Amino acid sequence: MTMPAADTAPPALLQARGLAKRYGSVAVFADVDLDLAAGEVVAILGESGVGKSTLLNVLAGLDSVSAGSVQVGRTDVTALDAHGSALWRRANVGFVFQAFHVLPYLDVRHNVALPLLLLGRPDAQRVQAMIEAVGLGGLESRKPRELSGGQLQRVAIARALVHRPKLVLADEPTGNLDPDTADQVLDLMLSQVHAEGAACLLVTHSRAAAARCDRALRLSARGLSAVGQG
Amino acid sequence: MRALLAVVSRAEWRHHRWRHGLALLAVAIGVALAFAVHVINASALDEFGAAVRQVNGQPDVELRAAGRTGFAEAFFARVAAHPAVALASPVVEVDTYAFDARGQRFSLRVVGIDVLAAAPLAPALVPRPRDAADSRGALDDPDALYLNMQAAERLAAERIDRERGASAPATPRTVRLQAGEGAVTLPLRGDITAGGPPLAVMDIAGAQERFDRLGRLSRIDVRLHPGSDRAAVLRELALPADVRAAAADEATQRLSNLSRAYRVNLTVLALVALFTGSFLVFSVLALSVAQRTPQLALLGVLGLAPRERLRLVLVEAALLGIAGSVLGLALGAALAWAALTWLAGDLGSGTFAGVTPALRIDPGSAAMYGALGTLAALAGAWLPSRMAQRLVPAQALKGLGGTWSENASRHGLAAWAAPLLLACGGLLALLPPLGGLPWGAYAAVAALLFGGIAAVPSAVAALLRGVTAPRRAPALVAVERARDERHVATVAVSGVVASLALAVALTVMVASFRDAVSRWLDHVLPADLYARTATRADAAQAVYLSAEVLAAAAAIPGVARIEGTRIVPLEWDASRPAVVLLARPLGDASRTLPLTGALHPRPEGEPADVPGIYVSEAVQVLYGAEPGAYVALPLPNGQRVRAFVQGVWRDYARQHGTVAMDRDAFVALTGDTRVNDLAVWLRDGAALPDVQQQLRELLQQRMPDVEGIEFATPREIRQASLRIFDRSFAVTTWLQAVAVGIGLAGVAASFSAQVWARRREFGLLAHLGFTRAQVLRAVAGEAAVWTAAGALLGTMLGLAVSVVLVHVVNPQSFHWTMDLLVPWLQMAALALGVVAAGTLTAVLAARRAASTEMALAVKDDW
Repeated sequence: MTMPAADTAPPALLQARGLAKRYGSVAVFADVDLDLAAGEVVAILGESGVGKSTLLNVLAGLDSVSAGSVQVGRTDVTALDAHGSALWRRANVGFVFQAFHVLPYLDVRHNVALPLLLLGRPDAQRVQAMIEAVGLGGLESRKPRELSGGQLQRVAIARALVHRPKLVLADEPTGNLDPDTADQVLDLMLSQVHAEGAACLLVTHSRAAAARCDRALRLSARGLSAVGQG
Repeated sequence: MRALLAVVSRAEWRHHRWRHGLALLAVAIGVALAFAVHVINASALDEFGAAVRQVNGQPDVELRAAGRTGFAEAFFARVAAHPAVALASPVVEVDTYAFDARGQRFSLRVVGIDVLAAAPLAPALVPRPRDAADSRGALDDPDALYLNMQAAERLAAERIDRERGASAPATPRTVRLQAGEGAVTLPLRGDITAGGPPLAVMDIAGAQERFDRLGRLSRIDVRLHPGSDRAAVLRELALPADVRAAAADEATQRLSNLSRAYRVNLTVLALVALFTGSFLVFSVLALSVAQRTPQLALLGVLGLAPRERLRLVLVEAALLGIAGSVLGLALGAALAWAALTWLAGDLGSGTFAGVTPALRIDPGSAAMYGALGTLAALAGAWLPSRMAQRLVPAQALKGLGGTWSENASRHGLAAWAAPLLLACGGLLALLPPLGGLPWGAYAAVAALLFGGIAAVPSAVAALLRGVTAPRRAPALVAVERARDERHVATVAVSGVVASLALAVALTVMVASFRDAVSRWLDHVLPADLYARTATRADAAQAVYLSAEVLAAAAAIPGVARIEGTRIVPLEWDASRPAVVLLARPLGDASRTLPLTGALHPRPEGEPADVPGIYVSEAVQVLYGAEPGAYVALPLPNGQRVRAFVQGVWRDYARQHGTVAMDRDAFVALTGDTRVNDLAVWLRDGAALPDVQQQLRELLQQRMPDVEGIEFATPREIRQASLRIFDRSFAVTTWLQAVAVGIGLAGVAASFSAQVWARRREFGLLAHLGFTRAQVLRAVAGEAAVWTAAGALLGTMLGLAVSVVLVHVVNPQSFHWTMDLLVPWLQMAALALGVVAAGTLTAVLAARRAASTEMALAVKDDW
């Protein structure tokens, strides 16, 4: 079942066709087709264990597929080897995790700057702009242990977008936050994704969060379907 | 607890059997080395003690000559006539050389006894004639010689097998012994049962006549009537000045003292290996706890109390320690057996020459060394067990809290510990020796090692202080993690710091000592050729050259100058090994002796019978013979004369003290014109082989048994001396290798632990686009920074420890001083080697975690 981008949307940035993932004889998901347009924000819902995380891994080239392909722009992500996949990912993908995952030994500035340094394009102004944009101005020299959960997720959002990736993959980015902070962080992330013109896949259990996306899809063993279609 | 061990611990041991096996081996090696040193020495001392008891018998009183020339035998009559004396056995002891079947010399002690008097006191010395013909005249022939097993084997003489009643047909019927300037050939008539070093028994009258001891005795063994008061008898006998009553087990005690410093130093080195081993235990258990955190957390949730978690890890460590100790004790016993079989029990020190002791293991000592190994394992387990105790189960189950870094800094040594321990180390090194051993210095070494380990975080900080954040991502990750989590570095590289410090300290100590010995040899070997009659001072009384031979040798064409040295052992203190007196022409002592300080001229108007002497550093320390002071110098006849100490000199050849005196003064005091060694200077243009040949011919004319004289050039003596030196210190090289190996294994285990703990971080890096090579580069960079800091600290600590070894341990243990020589190139190579090996080890440990699936390690969240 193909889930194309909306009719009014620009041409697809990401095209997944016939994706399937099995661990031995155990099938995680099958027949997953997905189109994601540039600048589009899509929520993915689903029960626990249905393979949402695995799907994100496959789309990012972090995990192999049992069948199918993933095309991002002109790149066949599933055809890349580990090294090529890493090089592609550093330029094209930004990640936001549920548990923040900022490096504890780097200060805010260097955590945010890391993707640019990895690309060999250090840009202090851009880093500072992103820090300001996520509301962490003045905290550049702080270490993660000196920040709250909400602040840590802001660092992660800045890091995910600082190198202007085409695709942002976010997994339950508000899962570890209280409802008020979660709202603020989600607002910030969506506004920054829009501001940077990136496409975003948001894995969430929150219908409210899903409602704020351009589309919402549900992952099941049979593939992806629009929310409400079962 | 037993159920937990069966389920939780057994699975862990099975799963990581190599890692735990390595830690077990580290404990075993430390225990084995320390136990082997103990067993070897105890066995050798036991053997020696047993031999001494057999030779000396079990007298109630042993009256000994105060000097090596003995005492007048007239005293024997007085002793034998005392009403309390039931039995008195006169003895003459002569240390000389015998020639074996190939004409090679070997040391032999000849004991002259009155068989009938000695039999009840020392049955092991009673001759056993080998056949009926001999037995008839055995006791009547004053020249008949009876050998113990060692002497017979050395001589390739028969090994009399009384049970089989047969003997080898090629048995020599005679034994040739050196006596004075010549040799005597004595008939071999049988054997004695006494063990120990090569020994021969003959009739006392024959010994006195053959070895120039007429009218002299070495000792009288006395058995008193039951109920007699030993002290009263001694009082009533009014011992002459040259006779003293020996203490029980005096000889064994003296030998124990002689070998003690060497033994204790080796034991301390072995314990340092065990100490390094406890770091490996620490690393392995820290890794084990890090990997089992979820399991321990689950057990915590299910009700396993924090204290029980602590106990679980400690019990695991204790079991590891016990297993390691048992293996170590077995290894140590095997090592000791090998050393006793092949090195004859002296571990290269030369102390127990001629003794091949049987292995003797005392269960008490085995238990003590076993306990030490277990304690080392428990000490290594303390921090990991505290980590297991302190983890918060709920958070740990979610992968939160109680990170490796937090635990390391929370349970690590406080920042003030490093300077405090280092300062303590400095102060402890200033303490004087206790009981003749440098305990303060050993404590200083321990304090320095712990202080150095505590200083690792500061060293990392200092190393990175000037380094700005790199602009390349892998370098940024490496540098910033190395800087920020420097407390973890203590865990990672403590083994490297300890083992490198040990290796550097030993390298510097051995290099300094070797250099000092080498320069000393240059100083003390100024002549072109040396000839030596006796290799041991003990035998110098029985083997010598006369003044006439010396004069004749001086007249050989090609000889510019010849000097003779008389070597005499002096009994300065009965509880200590003899001091050696060297009497030779000294001339300007500041040129002829390697003095350590200024020369004190003899006070004006000093009578001629108060000789000026130069004492070695050992005599200065052991007998308080300070330069510029007077001492009561014992003479070979046991009497004492007042002597003025003119200076102190270095003598690396004789650890227990040497006194140098001008030969003329010695002759004036003793009338002894004999010499033992010759130093020959050649005229310009004279050929060394020609002069040596002429000297040999001269000696052959005067002394038919000239093969007893050894000739050597300074080069040959130098080479032989340095060869002996290198052999003596071979054991330290092995210890260094073992310590560095254990240290590197610790690095491997530590980095494995960290890499395991960091697998989610590596997963994140993979998400961000780090390639596997970049992750490995980051780990390598970080490992390089930490091991560099460890190597830097280890090297500096090693230098500090070497200063303690060279300037405190050596003078206090062996009474030798020397200058410090730092072999910079060797040390740099050692440090760089450790950094390279440590970095490589870390990268190898990281390879598994940084596999293609590392990205999935963040899965806990997805």
